[in-house]
Amino acid sequence: MSGCDVRVVGVRYAYGEQEALRGIDLAIGAGEQVALIGPNGAGKTTLTRLLVALRRPSAGRVTVGDWDVAGKRPDEMARRVGYAFQHADQQLFARSVEDDVGFGPRCLGRATAPVQDVLGELGLRPVSGLHPYDVPAPVRKLVALAGVLVMEPCVLVLDEPTAGLDRAQRERVVAALRRRAAGGVTVLAVSHDLGFVAEMADRVVVMRDGRIAEDRAARELLYDRGALAALGLRPPPAVEIGLALGLTGQPVRAEEAIAALKGSRWRERQL
Amino acid sequence: MIGYVPGHSLLHRAHPYTTLALAGALLLGAFALTRPLEVWLLVVAAAAFAVAGGVLRASARPALLLSLPIWVLLFVLHGLLGADPRMTVGPVSLSVPGIARALVLGGRLTAIVLGFLTALATASPHRLVEAMTAGGVPFGRTFLLASTLTVLPRMRERTTQILEAQQCRGLRLGGSPLARLRALVPLALPLVLGALAEVDEQVLALDARGAAGGVRRTALDPPRDSALQRALRWTLLALVVAAYAWKFWSMRG
Amino acid sequence: MTALVTLEGVTFTYPGADRPALVDVSLELAAGDVLVVTGESGAGASTLLLVATGLAPRVVGGRLTGARRIEARRCGVVFARPWTQLTGLCPTVRDEIAFGPASQGLPREAVLAAAERAMERLHIAHLAGREPAQLSGGELQRVVVAAVLAVEPEVLGLDDPAAELDPEAADALYDLLPAIAAAGTAIVVATPDLERAARVATRAVALEAGRIVARGAPADVLGGTEVAGIARAAGCPPPFPLDVPALLRRVSR
Repeated sequence: MSGCDVRVVGVRYAYGEQEALRGIDLAIGAGEQVALIGPNGAGKTTLTRLLVALRRPSAGRVTVGDWDVAGKRPDEMARRVGYAFQHADQQLFARSVEDDVGFGPRCLGRATAPVQDVLGELGLRPVSGLHPYDVPAPVRKLVALAGVLVMEPCVLVLDEPTAGLDRAQRERVVAALRRRAAGGVTVLAVSHDLGFVAEMADRVVVMRDGRIAEDRAARELLYDRGALAALGLRPPPAVEIGLALGLTGQPVRAEEAIAALKGSRWRERQL
Repeated sequence: MIGYVPGHSLLHRAHPYTTLALAGALLLGAFALTRPLEVWLLVVAAAAFAVAGGVLRASARPALLLSLPIWVLLFVLHGLLGADPRMTVGPVSLSVPGIARALVLGGRLTAIVLGFLTALATASPHRLVEAMTAGGVPFGRTFLLASTLTVLPRMRERTTQILEAQQCRGLRLGGSPLARLRALVPLALPLVLGALAEVDEQVLALDARGAAGGVRRTALDPPRDSALQRALRWTLLALVVAAYAWKFWSMRG
Repeated sequence: MTALVTLEGVTFTYPGADRPALVDVSLELAAGDVLVVTGESGAGASTLLLVATGLAPRVVGGRLTGARRIEARRCGVVFARPWTQLTGLCPTVRDEIAFGPASQGLPREAVLAAAERAMERLHIAHLAGREPAQLSGGELQRVVVAAVLAVEPEVLGLDDPAAELDPEAADALYDLLPAIAAAGTAIVVATPDLERAARVATRAVALEAGRIVARGAPADVLGGTEVAGIARAAGCPPPFPLDVPALLRRVSR
């Protein structure tokens, strides 16, 4: 399914006395790849919960495509929005990895689902017959992500999808998201892994204290040292190299840095 | 609200053994008493216990929710279907001994549940561990007991998380009884499996901090006991023994 | 320098597993080391940690063959998830940190002093009176490290300790390690976070399917960092620079 757009208009949300969201306006076009960053407590996770009807805003409106989230339950939103939680263990239960990944489509009443394809994409075929709790914690996270991808939603919302993963695993996640992006799926990822953000996002939204502080093109923000420092973040390696060596083209992704290095006049120093 | 609630009531300040002894006396006493009046005096005592803990209102609701279905069952089974003699209340004919029986059984349940909830709400697991440590009880046993006291709030948190995750995968809550039953598996299994995995990690982590050593632990801040409380605990024990002695004596006679 | 931990030809199999998790592993760990162990998920890095700190097979079960000598009196371990490493019973951070020394049966003053020292080392004295449940992940993980250091282990194992932390907290955690090692502790860290590991490692070891496939200086073993990958693909010959400063030292216009 190709993407839906996501619109958040004038949304407010409070946990009891404490205001977590103080008037959020955000428009994500169908097929856009957006990263949501910001300090702990900024309201990022709360905002994502609103998109799948797990929380109801005290003011404002949230729509996904032509659906008003206010009239929907979370299991209904699951038909359009795939939500990958930060902690995988809260959903794994089936006898085997393969079985668990197929749970979502079964709930949605789908006759077929691309379980084998997704298992292959995330490198899970070798463990597909094992019990989810018999595989290491990072692999369980991939199993949970597979369980979401396999529902083929038009919007993907991911909460820290690369936390605890090694490089090879991160690359698989990035590749899977790029494939979905090419197919027009809308992606919103909460992450403080700027290397990951560099690889998957066109646009970065920064939240602070329940408000949107900045909304910029990813390339622009990643080269803004000051803005990143204010968030306690360091630029990803490709950007650090670009800045340190003054490479042309302002590379943001690894392959861009490699091409820029090769094409530049930098040579290895005589040892 | 089931679980420890911080506070400054009489029970909160009492030695944890005293609180547990009171709850235990309510439990044992409930089964020793056989007449409706006696049982309901015990229920009043249980309510007084809850007031002493400052948790009567907090405990009343869960106590009611837990006992209500059973009350209804008791009245139907014993009140409506019990033996003669009968009395008429409006359109309904009720069995007198049946009503008495229902009052006794229901009263017992209420007293026990109130006592249990009050003890849970006022005996801080930490103070209980300190009390047991000061008393020389090996840590393994104290931890086991204390962990069961803290398990409920943790389970509640995790249940919410699991509910949310599975709903986002399309699991519909509600519906036919069969659908609800089927929905239990993807909700209960992650709870159990996740809890077991966490316990595994916790055992490793605490072992590395010396929890399993055979050494006698140091109690840092043992709860203060007093001669009065000790006397109270012994008195409670004596009362319970007396209640059972009277029960058996009056059964024989 | 005497080795605190020596492994010679160690093979370890988890209970019920059909393949060993570690095969023929030999290594030494001495005071002041910060040894980083890397490998893909399931390659055995976490297992090596458990074996080197004595938690396997003692707590985990399983079978170990080969020679292992642990000269350290105490080993401590820190795992990835902060909240599963807490007792769940302690109302304040100070109590939580004092748990380890209290388990050793030290007198009360010594326990409190050990807790204070540990809090100073981790710069968390300001958190002493706080409730653990209220802390952020980064703060909580520091509390866990303090709680482990409070028993003054000679060997400290860390299993992906920053996995759940935001970048600032992760940096701060890894930045603590050199000082802890300098104070005489032998540190072994299993982690996929090569960037941060490279900043603090004195030695490194890479595992594949339970076997050591590379060992030596971090620059030689940790070539899997992002910067190293970029340098390699751009045509830089080995050894690959692990971070940007190293890259800058290697190239010139």
